Amino acid sequence: MWQERKADLVATMKLRRQSLAKGWYKYSRNPLSVLGLIVLVLIGTSAGLAPYITPYPAHAGAFTNFREAGQPPSWKHLFGTDRIGRDVFTRVIFGYRFSLLLGVVVLSLGVAPGVVLGLIAGYRRGTWVEIVIMRITDVFLAVPPLVLALAITAMLTPNLLNAMFAIALLWWPWYCRLVFAVASSLRNQFFVREAELCGASRAHILFREILPNCVAPILTKMTLDMGIVILLGASLSFVGLGAQPPTPCLGTMVADGAKRLPGEWWSTIFPALAIVLVILAFNLVGDGLRDVFAVEEV
Amino acid sequence: MALLEVVDLHVGYRVFEGYLKVLNGVNFEIEEQERVGLVGETGCGKTTLVKTILRVLPVPPARIQRGQVLYHGKDILLMSPREVRGLRRREMTAIFQDPLQALNPMFTIGTQLRDILKDSQERVGRGQRTQRAITARCISALRDTGMPDPERIMSNYPIQLSGGMRQRVCIAEALSRNVRLLLADEPTTNLDVTIQDQILRKLDQLVDQRGASVLIITHSMGVVRDLTQRLYIMYAGSMVETGRTKGVLASPLHPYTQGLMRSVPRLTGQGISDGIPGRIPNYLQPPSGCRFHPRCAHAMPVCVEAPPPFYPAGDNHRVACYLYRS
Amino acid sequence: MPGDILSVDNLRKHFPTKEGVVRAVDGVSFSIAPGETFGLVGESGSGKTTTAQCIIGMYPPTSGDIWFKGERINAAFDRRPKHVKGDLRIVFQDPGSSLNPKRTIKQILSVPLQVHRIGSRRGRLARMKALLDMVELPADEYLYKHPQAIGGGERQMVALARALATNPSLVLLDEPTSALDVSVQAKIINLLIRLQKELDLTYLFITHDLSLMRNIATRVAIMYLGKLCEIAPTAEFFESPVHPYTRMLLSSIPVVSDEEEALKPRKVLSTGEIPSPVNVPPGCGFQSRCPEAADVCRRVDPEMVEVSRSHQVRCHRERRPDRAGHAEASVLHEREERLC
Repeated sequence: MWQERKADLVATMKLRRQSLAKGWYKYSRNPLSVLGLIVLVLIGTSAGLAPYITPYPAHAGAFTNFREAGQPPSWKHLFGTDRIGRDVFTRVIFGYRFSLLLGVVVLSLGVAPGVVLGLIAGYRRGTWVEIVIMRITDVFLAVPPLVLALAITAMLTPNLLNAMFAIALLWWPWYCRLVFAVASSLRNQFFVREAELCGASRAHILFREILPNCVAPILTKMTLDMGIVILLGASLSFVGLGAQPPTPCLGTMVADGAKRLPGEWWSTIFPALAIVLVILAFNLVGDGLRDVFAVEEV
Repeated sequence: MALLEVVDLHVGYRVFEGYLKVLNGVNFEIEEQERVGLVGETGCGKTTLVKTILRVLPVPPARIQRGQVLYHGKDILLMSPREVRGLRRREMTAIFQDPLQALNPMFTIGTQLRDILKDSQERVGRGQRTQRAITARCISALRDTGMPDPERIMSNYPIQLSGGMRQRVCIAEALSRNVRLLLADEPTTNLDVTIQDQILRKLDQLVDQRGASVLIITHSMGVVRDLTQRLYIMYAGSMVETGRTKGVLASPLHPYTQGLMRSVPRLTGQGISDGIPGRIPNYLQPPSGCRFHPRCAHAMPVCVEAPPPFYPAGDNHRVACYLYRS
Repeated sequence: MPGDILSVDNLRKHFPTKEGVVRAVDGVSFSIAPGETFGLVGESGSGKTTTAQCIIGMYPPTSGDIWFKGERINAAFDRRPKHVKGDLRIVFQDPGSSLNPKRTIKQILSVPLQVHRIGSRRGRLARMKALLDMVELPADEYLYKHPQAIGGGERQMVALARALATNPSLVLLDEPTSALDVSVQAKIINLLIRLQKELDLTYLFITHDLSLMRNIATRVAIMYLGKLCEIAPTAEFFESPVHPYTRMLLSSIPVVSDEEEALKPRKVLSTGEIPSPVNVPPGCGFQSRCPEAADVCRRVDPEMVEVSRSHQVRCHRERRPDRAGHAEASVLHEREERLC
């Protein structure tokens, strides 16, 4: 018996490895996607290890050094220093921490309910369940996201947590719509019919039969959305409703520096470029994932 | 000179697992005004062959290793894109299994037929008279295919027609410009037998009138028997048997053709044999020599060594099998 | 009839649409005895698939009854008792879409076992291997594959193994081989015949392929525009077809040998297409294409009549008084003459 279980496990693992290898082959056909992934890994690890690899970890907090304030980029301060003498490079790396955290938290809060609601609505298409879920979704989609986020954060105290909460509240309808579309077309596939006729439970059909087929579009959309969420977070911070000083946040840094343009350009341009870089990287990775999940032709 | 001649064609695809050697030395020809059938099962390389002939093969991942596709003695594979376009406009055309993919859903049948007809002509006037003449030609082309009420069909969209009607439109489209060669890739596979019967009868009649050559690619032995004079049997990327259609079907010689014929359900109700043992080979590492040898009951040592050439077996019948060496 | 495993009585399934009511199935009755292979033949749009889907419970019929082993099973799948779901199984046409592409064959086969609580958690692996053995696939290799990694014929074998997992007594085969090559079809058909003997299965075979039915069915029924045209035991059906549509179908089949050509009825030239099942005109559904249509055919829909024991036809020609006493062969002969 034990032997059989072991053989079963080995064979399953082998299958996983093969699928991964094949996925990577398809991903690596596009050099830009690989570049995007490398950039993303670099940004991720440096953000994760920020206290250990940045030259002035202390500058991430409430630190002032007016003697070195407003210095242009040099070898000592790669991206220059801001108006109270903090190293911009250090703060950009720390800023990534919050941007990535924001993206991950928002998407993990937003995607799950969206996916579940979308699955249910798609599977029960044509019933009142679908109508209720999809009309609520429509209501949320009708509100301009930035405006609603502004309203919510202004209502509550403006801080990072509330910004995340506000954006997450806006994000689920997109996933609901996406999964709804996929699920309602899969619903008529014969493998779903077969499971129904066999007597499988609703939960089995939704999560074991339909959901695995939605993973590809969900993952692709998530990578593309990471960029947008980060941008939205930066926008909220830019107008002062996101992370509050002294927390290093790319949006806040751009806002602060903008007041001193064009003189101290470095305190605006570098955080802005950092935002562009991370969004670009996420988009490239998203394109690569799309290739991985694309249906093979030959 | 043959109208179309394919000489020793080798085509493969580069994929994750390696290199798929699909076409393995395809040789065949079609004479002027000849109707030839090409029979082969799923995955034997039929589609790759048609795509290569029409020059629509995606390269890469596909790769044409060697071989020639001679049209009137001129190699299609070496033609410039411009020449290929001219060829497709005036010399040869194709109809496919799924006519819905061949027709643009956004335009009416009339618009599409007119565009194709205009495109195939050297000089087109813009005058009212030419326009009207073209429309008239489209309608008569539709009527020729047995389409009821062609004037009304001209203003319909593809989605409004049944499968049989759509295939009639495709045939009208293909035959409205007097091409020399028609490639028909499973033209009636999706249709019901009574509709298939109508379409094949019409196609037969039209091709006869126009004097075009036809290559019918199908997996149905019955369709080939009704419509063609000569036939090729394809297996795993090469031709294994050819000859006059009725002759080959009545007395197949290659073990593969024999297995295939035994698998066909007959109206005589004699039961169905067990098919052919094994499955179509993996093109990553295809069997050496004759690609059929692992599934063949008569395999000999020589079969493993080199692919067999065509051996004559009387009355235009040729077989690529070492059993018929003498 | 008592003793029948399945009996369908005046089954109707109408779908309301914007253009009108689609009468997909419009009064179909037949019954299947245990151990039979019943061939339900028709072209696309004839309603054969809708009939099968009503029987399997994809939706409830508009009217009529479906009896399975003496139990009335009109409800759709969500209201059917579980033992019926296990005892009455289906194999779909397209094995590409009936197997979930994201799941391994092991996961696919485990679903019916889990749902119907067959075997212990540990015993299931052995049961799955036995199922794959039964359909002649090497179990250790195929359990850990995705459906895309195997050929069409093998996928259909897996679908068959899944259907057999619950030990059914009646299996609906909805064009199980029409997407496959003939040599693969031959393998599947022989497998089906062998399993039928070994496991005492009854088949309802839905197909458009009459030549195939000639070789495996015990009885054949032809459907056209939601109604049955003719039912007969296989040999009789092919030797003396009565309905003009049956003869049109038979004479349209492309065959591969002269012997078969000789068996086909004299050519009934195929014309026209199956009319839309919306707003069906009065009279016989086939009259628009029938070369023998008379006035009465355009006005009155014919009833099913018996030509001989167990051979039924729905055609006005069979009711005409001058036919009543005639032997069947002479009826046929006469008609053939008129046709020429």
